[in-house]
Amino acid sequence: MLNILVCVKQVPDVNLVKIDPVTGSLIRAGVPSILNPLDANALEAAVRTRERYGGSVTCITMGPDMAAEALRECLAAGADKAVLLSDRAFANADTLATSYVIVSAARLLGDFDLIFCGKESLDGATGQMGAQLAERFGASLVSSMSLLRSIDFEKKTVIAERELERGIETCEARYPCLFTVEKTNYRPRIPNLRSWRASRFAEITRFTSATIPGLDPAQIGDPGSPTKVPRTYPPEVGEAGMMIDEGSVDRNVEKLLDLLGDVL
Amino acid sequence: MAEYNKLTPEIAEQLCAVVGAQRFSAGENVKEEYSHDEMPIYGKARPEAVCLVETTEEVSEIMKICSANKIPVTVRGAGTGLVGGCVPVNGGIVLSTEKMNRILSYDMNNLVVHTQPGVLLCDLAADALAHGLMYPPDPGEKTATVGGNVSTNAGGMRAVKYGVTRDYVLAMTVVLPCGEIMKLGKTVCKTSSGYSLLHLMVGSEGTLGIITELTLKLIPKPIQDVSLILPFQDIATAIASVPSIKLANLDPQSIEFMERDIVDSSAAFTGNAVFPTVVGGREAGAYILVTLVGNSETELIGKMDRLGEIAEKVGAYDVLVVWTDNLKKDVWAARSAFLTVIEAETRLLDEMDVVVPVDKIAEFLVYTHDEAERQGVYVRSFGHAGDGNLHIYCCSNDLEEEEFKRRVKALMDKCYEKCTEFEGQVSGEHSIGHAKKEYLRESVGDTAYGLMGAIKKVFDPDGILNPGKVCHNV
Repeated sequence: MLNILVCVKQVPDVNLVKIDPVTGSLIRAGVPSILNPLDANALEAAVRTRERYGGSVTCITMGPDMAAEALRECLAAGADKAVLLSDRAFANADTLATSYVIVSAARLLGDFDLIFCGKESLDGATGQMGAQLAERFGASLVSSMSLLRSIDFEKKTVIAERELERGIETCEARYPCLFTVEKTNYRPRIPNLRSWRASRFAEITRFTSATIPGLDPAQIGDPGSPTKVPRTYPPEVGEAGMMIDEGSVDRNVEKLLDLLGDVL
Repeated sequence: MAEYNKLTPEIAEQLCAVVGAQRFSAGENVKEEYSHDEMPIYGKARPEAVCLVETTEEVSEIMKICSANKIPVTVRGAGTGLVGGCVPVNGGIVLSTEKMNRILSYDMNNLVVHTQPGVLLCDLAADALAHGLMYPPDPGEKTATVGGNVSTNAGGMRAVKYGVTRDYVLAMTVVLPCGEIMKLGKTVCKTSSGYSLLHLMVGSEGTLGIITELTLKLIPKPIQDVSLILPFQDIATAIASVPSIKLANLDPQSIEFMERDIVDSSAAFTGNAVFPTVVGGREAGAYILVTLVGNSETELIGKMDRLGEIAEKVGAYDVLVVWTDNLKKDVWAARSAFLTVIEAETRLLDEMDVVVPVDKIAEFLVYTHDEAERQGVYVRSFGHAGDGNLHIYCCSNDLEEEEFKRRVKALMDKCYEKCTEFEGQVSGEHSIGHAKKEYLRESVGDTAYGLMGAIKKVFDPDGILNPGKVCHNV
């Protein structure tokens, strides 16, 4: 039976994040939190794999209490179990510290054959988690996975497609195997009433730093994070273009020629 | 017979003096967009001049000039109409409210908003929400103006729970054709005080007076909501579910239906296949989209459970829960984009906006599809299953325009006759304009149609306001 893990993150809906015109910093207050959209694709890939081959899908996330809502969304969309890693000591973690905590907790849950992650998060967008988790799990890494074609249980291998800039690469990898998932073929399903309802009442397994045995305090949260972010600022925006709308094509062309004439 | 004068350079100068040269255009300088709405099949007509008004006083001055000179005046909001209502088919000027686009104030104690008529529906809706309030009418065309919504008595997707635009208009400022400024209604919710001229103005399509300010009723925004998609085998089973849903005390905010064709077109056009086409291994042929509101998740779950039980009994393939804000946005954006999708994929297009009793929707749609097939045009349809208001688009990409018009007329003659037989209405929210006048007359009968004409004459004896529309013949 396949034991499948999906690593997800709750992120601020950055499409709604505004920029403070004075300080240039991001205003996150009042911005709703959502399940990282690419993680929903990863979950869909995992659930379809379970539907085809059997097994169990566990979702795991590290975050504040309210991240439970993202896990409930995963349960509604087909996950069997959900695990929340929540502790003040985990705060301000970079990807290194986060991957350390997730793998430490996941080891308590069993051995996972397949691990699915979104390609990157909407907020940090480092794209580092997949590779770090694969390294820590000792798993093969298939990044930019766009289709899981088949699993060979005898050989303990998977055949998957990777979406690259120049085309599709088909590869074979031994499992345990970690995929970072492209959204191309894994549109998240809309949950049905039965699974949505169950998700609202489902129990979520919780771990803190105290309930994960052997966790090294120096490798978690702020102390465990070598990455420092001195400042966040929006990119410089180029000059806005202008619309020419003089009422007819001929007049638009005339106006354009006028403008070009000034430049040339 | 009304007789109108042409705009002379002298009159143009007077009009220009009222709004200023920046907000006035005439002759060749009039932009093409002022010559049509979103249903150009009914013909285009370029106005002799366009005035972009900003105040009630400017409207009054313009009306005095046009009244004295018998110049037709056609009011225009965002031009998103579908029956030629804002097209100046008898010449004259277009008076555009696009710059009267300020939300003036909120009265939080009485739950009302004072607004100019050129505010876009999407802007008013968002602004009200930011105040913790909701403007309940929710027509699909979000970039229509509120003034346009009032002039057509638009209904939209939440009408099944909250009613239509008319139910939210408490008061207005109107400029009469002679230029006199009149206030109608008060900021109160009850009146038993004479004939309601306010309600006569609502839905009058700019033929009786020009609305320059509105007082609209708001409600506290619902605490929680959820939308649910019920896929069905076909439109008949989908529609047959509606009475059960309405009887279950769920007080749904919306009950919309959509046929598979339009869902497929929408997915292809937007690249966003929101509605699942295969559910539990079965192809969906039609969908019902329901929105429920409640004061808590517990209350909503209770309602959803009841809907789930009904869905199973009426043969829905499943009940899909649209819970997260982003999914709600996707689903309702897809629903709101249907007309845009149809416009984009169709060369020749005409529409019907009939209302039939809810239990006749399926029969009416089947009849329309059969007649359309006989005429060699194809049909796309969606609409408000909860209130029987159907949006039926007749399309062709192959026929010549004149042939298309001939065939669509034959089709519509049949369909409107069927609608009358079912005790339905010619239009639920798109109005009459000049496109549906004959069907209106046939539907209401000569006596009622004659009374409408007589009322028009009382308000506008010279027939200068939006001539040739609704019940007015030039």
